[in-house]
Amino acid sequence: MDNIITLKNISYSYYNRIPAVSDISLDIMEGECYSIIGANGTGKSTLLQIMSGLVHHSEGSVFFRENEVSAESLKNRSFLKFFRERVGYVFQDSDIQLFCPTVMDELLYGPLQLEIKESEAMERAKEVMQMLEIQDLRDRPSYMLSGGEKKRVAIGSVLTINPEVILFDEPTNGLDPRTQCFLVELMLALGDAGKTLIIATHDLSLVAELETNVALLSEEHRIEKTGSADEILKDEDLLLRANLIHEHMHVHGDKTHKHRHSHYFFHKH
Amino acid sequence: MANRIPSFLLDKPDSDIYSEDRGKIKLSFIERGINQVADVIRSGYIQWDTATNDGFFQRLDARIKMIFLLFFAVIVSLKKEIMPEIYLGSFIFVLVLMSRLNIFSFYKKVFFLGFLFGFLIAVPSAFNVIVKGEIIFPVFQLSKDYRFWVYHIPADIGITREGISAVSMLTIRVVNSLSIAFLVLSTTPFPDIIKALKMLKVPDSFLMVITLSYKYIFIFSKTVEDMHRAKKSRLLREVNSAEARKWAAGRMGFIFRKTRLRCDEIFKAMLSRGFSEEVKIYKPRKLKSRDIIAGAILMITGVFFIWY
Repeated sequence: MDNIITLKNISYSYYNRIPAVSDISLDIMEGECYSIIGANGTGKSTLLQIMSGLVHHSEGSVFFRENEVSAESLKNRSFLKFFRERVGYVFQDSDIQLFCPTVMDELLYGPLQLEIKESEAMERAKEVMQMLEIQDLRDRPSYMLSGGEKKRVAIGSVLTINPEVILFDEPTNGLDPRTQCFLVELMLALGDAGKTLIIATHDLSLVAELETNVALLSEEHRIEKTGSADEILKDEDLLLRANLIHEHMHVHGDKTHKHRHSHYFFHKH
Repeated sequence: MANRIPSFLLDKPDSDIYSEDRGKIKLSFIERGINQVADVIRSGYIQWDTATNDGFFQRLDARIKMIFLLFFAVIVSLKKEIMPEIYLGSFIFVLVLMSRLNIFSFYKKVFFLGFLFGFLIAVPSAFNVIVKGEIIFPVFQLSKDYRFWVYHIPADIGITREGISAVSMLTIRVVNSLSIAFLVLSTTPFPDIIKALKMLKVPDSFLMVITLSYKYIFIFSKTVEDMHRAKKSRLLREVNSAEARKWAAGRMGFIFRKTRLRCDEIFKAMLSRGFSEEVKIYKPRKLKSRDIIAGAILMITGVFFIWY
């Protein structure tokens, strides 16, 4: 497998003062499912936006299939099309992502920009609606959808472009358990279909279920450790240090004790 | 799920290479506008940053600064000659230096707005068509005088000595007033300004409008910036102006809807925390001797400028 996205010594700071990410280097392979985890404010979302050329890093370089992604290269018409049709981004807040009058328009927006024939674009939209179980919503405006429905439509609007890489920013945030479960199944299926998935999250159960490779960001906005999900999630000291699990007091009958606690599968006694 | 994956999602792109011969895209007017909106957040951050620096004005109590602002704004408008205005401007410059503000960006804003709202507005009065006087730069010559109702257009049109004096006076007044306002705004955190205004008996409804508007500008700017990024992520080609306008109009509708919802929610949140149409603040800290001394020096300087 080839590298599909490469980050070399990426640094970025807001207003040139507040550091968001510091000296990040990563290689993401084609077809890989990769998670970027870390506590709030460690720079996960910023890193994802840098990968997708939405925010431009102050230092370092980003490459997509060995082509540099920068403010300058994205001004080139050919490269813009080449890059955007291959890299999709699902935002944490679906509201800001949905800007067309109806769900159907959302799904058709990408294919029509790609100048795909209208019949084929309609076919894509129909198939995606079936897969995401949103056929009944096709003529609804986005403001008349629930949070879970909006998330499905936002994902659908990216899938109709058929990108090779899909970046998910906190995909399970604020969703009910059923929609979360649906999302996990969808990601597994997309992974099986050969898509490269990059997920920014602090939901450790999502990382465990998808069995992704992981880069853990420290509160100093650097990569603390990279490895498999199993390797990272078993390292409780590391997770504690990164503020992804915590220690707290518990009362069991007449006994009070302190132990490490994550809102995810291990909750040892 | 796997067996429901549409077949087109299994298709791979034809090529990993792109041709470089299609030229560069141009930023549309609307895109440039959105980038400017993003600057609002940046400038808000810079204001907060400079207001918390360790300079002379930053260390003063906000009440002293608000009184200074009002007092000196009145003095600036009372002066009728250029020289005292120049001395006032120099005094403010010294205060800016003592407050460790970035001189270049400070005066860039002041002179830009001074040019716009001072010089440009006053410049027609430099001509003898508006202000009669001794012509020192002839500009245009007509064959004869013209009279129309109360207006008189002389045959020789030019810039007068009195006109230049009037334009200079108005421009320097605007520049001085702006310098004082920016000095106070750049050295005082926004919540302190509101508290100081409350002490100065500014009506609560006015304070609430300022506070909520100020906060909403930042939320609004962040939302606009995020929406723009979301659009960029799905943009596969250059967008023409008509499409950009259509998108902007749609998003304005969205923001309007969101604003209404947020307005309701904020009001409910305020009610749930006991809001009763009155802004209540905790007891302000006592003025320190440093504030009183600095305030007295500023007041004496002000009185000196009135007298001079």
